Amino acid sequence: MIAWRPGRGPGWALLVVVSVVMAAPVAVIVWSIADPSTEVWRELWQTRLPGMLVDTVTLVTLVVTGAVVVGTALAWLVSAHEFRGRRLLSWLLMTPIAIPGYVLGFVWLDTLQSPLGARAVRSIWLCAAVLIVSLYPYVYVFAWSAFREQSPRTVDVARTLGRSSFTAWWRVVVPMARPSIAAGAALVAMEVLTDVGTVRLFNVSTVADGVLRVWFGTGDRDAAAELAVVLVVAAMSLILVERALRGRARYTQSGVRGGSVARPVTGLRTVVVNVAGWGVLFIAVAVPVVRLARWALRAQQLGQTQSISGDLGFHVVSSLKVAGLATIACLVIGTTMVFIARERGRWGAALGRLASLGYAVPGPVVAIGVVVALAAVDRRGWWPGEVLLVGSLAGLVYAMVVRFLAVAHQGIGASVGKVSPSAVASARTLGAGRLRVATRVELPLARAGIIAAATLVAIDSLKELPVTLLLRPFGVEPLPVWVWQATSESLWVQASVPSLMIVAIGMPLVAALLWSVERGAEVVS
Amino acid sequence: MRTSTRTFLSATVLIGTLVPAACGDDTAAPAEGDGQTVTVYTGRHYGIEGVFDEFTAATGIKVRFTTGKDPELRERLVAEGANTPADLLMTADAANVELAAAAGVLAPVESDTLDAIPAELRSPDGTWFALSRRARVIVSSTERVDSPPTTYAAVGDPAWKGKLCLRPSTHPYTQSLVASIIAAEGEPAAEAMVSSWVDNDPLYIDSDTDIYKAIVAGECDVAIANTYYLGRLQTEDPAFPVAITWPEQNGRGAHVNVSTAGITTNAPNPAGALRLLEWLATDGQKTFSDANFEYPADPAVQPTEVVAAWGPFKGDTAVIVRLGEFQPAAVALLSRVGYE
Repeated sequence: MIAWRPGRGPGWALLVVVSVVMAAPVAVIVWSIADPSTEVWRELWQTRLPGMLVDTVTLVTLVVTGAVVVGTALAWLVSAHEFRGRRLLSWLLMTPIAIPGYVLGFVWLDTLQSPLGARAVRSIWLCAAVLIVSLYPYVYVFAWSAFREQSPRTVDVARTLGRSSFTAWWRVVVPMARPSIAAGAALVAMEVLTDVGTVRLFNVSTVADGVLRVWFGTGDRDAAAELAVVLVVAAMSLILVERALRGRARYTQSGVRGGSVARPVTGLRTVVVNVAGWGVLFIAVAVPVVRLARWALRAQQLGQTQSISGDLGFHVVSSLKVAGLATIACLVIGTTMVFIARERGRWGAALGRLASLGYAVPGPVVAIGVVVALAAVDRRGWWPGEVLLVGSLAGLVYAMVVRFLAVAHQGIGASVGKVSPSAVASARTLGAGRLRVATRVELPLARAGIIAAATLVAIDSLKELPVTLLLRPFGVEPLPVWVWQATSESLWVQASVPSLMIVAIGMPLVAALLWSVERGAEVVS
Repeated sequence: MRTSTRTFLSATVLIGTLVPAACGDDTAAPAEGDGQTVTVYTGRHYGIEGVFDEFTAATGIKVRFTTGKDPELRERLVAEGANTPADLLMTADAANVELAAAAGVLAPVESDTLDAIPAELRSPDGTWFALSRRARVIVSSTERVDSPPTTYAAVGDPAWKGKLCLRPSTHPYTQSLVASIIAAEGEPAAEAMVSSWVDNDPLYIDSDTDIYKAIVAGECDVAIANTYYLGRLQTEDPAFPVAITWPEQNGRGAHVNVSTAGITTNAPNPAGALRLLEWLATDGQKTFSDANFEYPADPAVQPTEVVAAWGPFKGDTAVIVRLGEFQPAAVALLSRVGYE
């Protein structure tokens, strides 16, 4: 590891500036901790906080474990086995990621309410189940793309040494995919820690929920900020755990890649593989989509297919605009940061984490942090003319980047990290400069991971609610706002049309994600 | 390298398709100055566009609005300060508008027209005005309950153990109900009352509509809920088997909360905001209230038919302007007694 040498040129300065700008909204919120409001804090300790901590830890543990097991197992299922419909299944298994957790939550809540009863349905277990079903694709996509990048020879070697197919995968392939699985698991953990929509539906009282409870209930921003710090600390610890899991090891691929690692399955195994794969899809996609579609038909009959702000097309354009800009911004900033930071060892990594802070804080907290930070800039009139950042498209995109830069940074970092150092060294030996190596060697080799990261950011921005709600400019009303306007009044029928539309827009993104990963693998061979 | 360049180009094109109009209107055109547009931040959004359309038709003044949650809109106004584009803040809750007024983002208004709103339904300093009222009442199954509780305290009767549905403490409706109880009976009595509810092992449901449905499904017999949701349900099904009991009719009256509006301190178009506020308090009363099955703030204006059918009731309106004052205490109390 290269030690930090201060004053290493413009790259370093850029890294510092970007990190500070990205961390600013969280910083302004956390700043208030300098003057602790001990009264509320003590009361929290005595009343709700222990319960919130228990719920949070339980939920994160359940969901991360569940998502890792389900995501890895499904990735293994479609990577290690050849069966009819494998390609279709491997594509479809990614689709739950296009369904926002808050949509999946209200659909399942309403669906299970009658058979199970309103009391039984509101439990941490069902909340965890819904979150697992909506978040496992984060693990699945990373594991799947990692499995694909591996040489079939590795498995062949293990088999030659007398291992069964499963053992070969479990002992050889999965450990090599560990950095990717850990990256996916970290994303899942962050999503759970900061979720404020799904947990409330199921009466699960997490710390993130508590932040809003204190803030909005009492108007005490300071106390809420102190609680938010608990989340930041938890998220930071998670990142450290992830680093530890990833270990110092760097797994790189040498030798020939490509070719299918999948082996045909027959008999009973075919049944097991199909039931597992399609069963998950039934729960995660089929039931909610059918339910939404039936509500949407009802909405059609009632003439409720537009919101208070406009028709479907208007909302779709808003959503595409915001998600598209946020994705491009995250991609450019994330890639730049990864390349600058990797030359700067520990300090570079620390700044990367600083810039990723927004992902560790609940959306509403980020949203208000951004408003406070941007409003401060607006007041100083640093921009010419009448342009104000709060309530501008630029302000909303900035907030999205603050929130989701971690996703891009994490994904790009993980895939660039897997590029064989010997490839970089060879290029350097041949006289290529650092920039040339980055653009001609590392980025192309890491492209599958980069495109995956971009697609994840696009899908995340498409589903994002709290930041969108508070920062959208006039005339820009992304679909989640419409969903919220309906669900906050328990009007599921009205919520169905925008919910389905979010899913519909997400589907090509999911396809693009898988297409690029597959394409990447083919190109190398 | 050729192939990978192609892949990259494809990816770029793909992402590019996401941004059809990326370079369009980056910042919303500022509305200030022209006097023809009023900008509204509204925490109430149900049926609001029809109300604004009617105002525009009547006055020629356009309304530009953004929806959001009351506390977040308040934070945004505070942060924006002098730069806010908002002329009018509308909230769905009295405590939240009071917190906004306390934060200094609402300006006092004097207008004879606004006298149509009863004195106890507007802030004494003229920073905000209620536009519609709703009661948080005791509701019960018509099939299983013969003598429902008639006071909020009676909801804590052990007879309702395991048969009670309540909205979680995160919701402003619960918070303002408890704030009104603290105001009327003092904190110790309020704490004992809310504790007795909690002792009844209530089923917490964060949706009044679902609370009504839970009663129908037999999950609970008695609940505390807002009237207007029943208005919606009865419109769909006139025989909906849930009845309203007006609580505290021998005392202070049923807990009433209000939808409100106030002109912002830094309104770019205060004259337009006043026009809209005055219209909402007079000609717009019926449309505004009917849109959500609420009671008009002006008692002279009749509520919609479904609502009128529930009959007259006594409402605890005296406390409305003080709900914000007791809200933090209510939140702390709910937390203390283990109310979900």
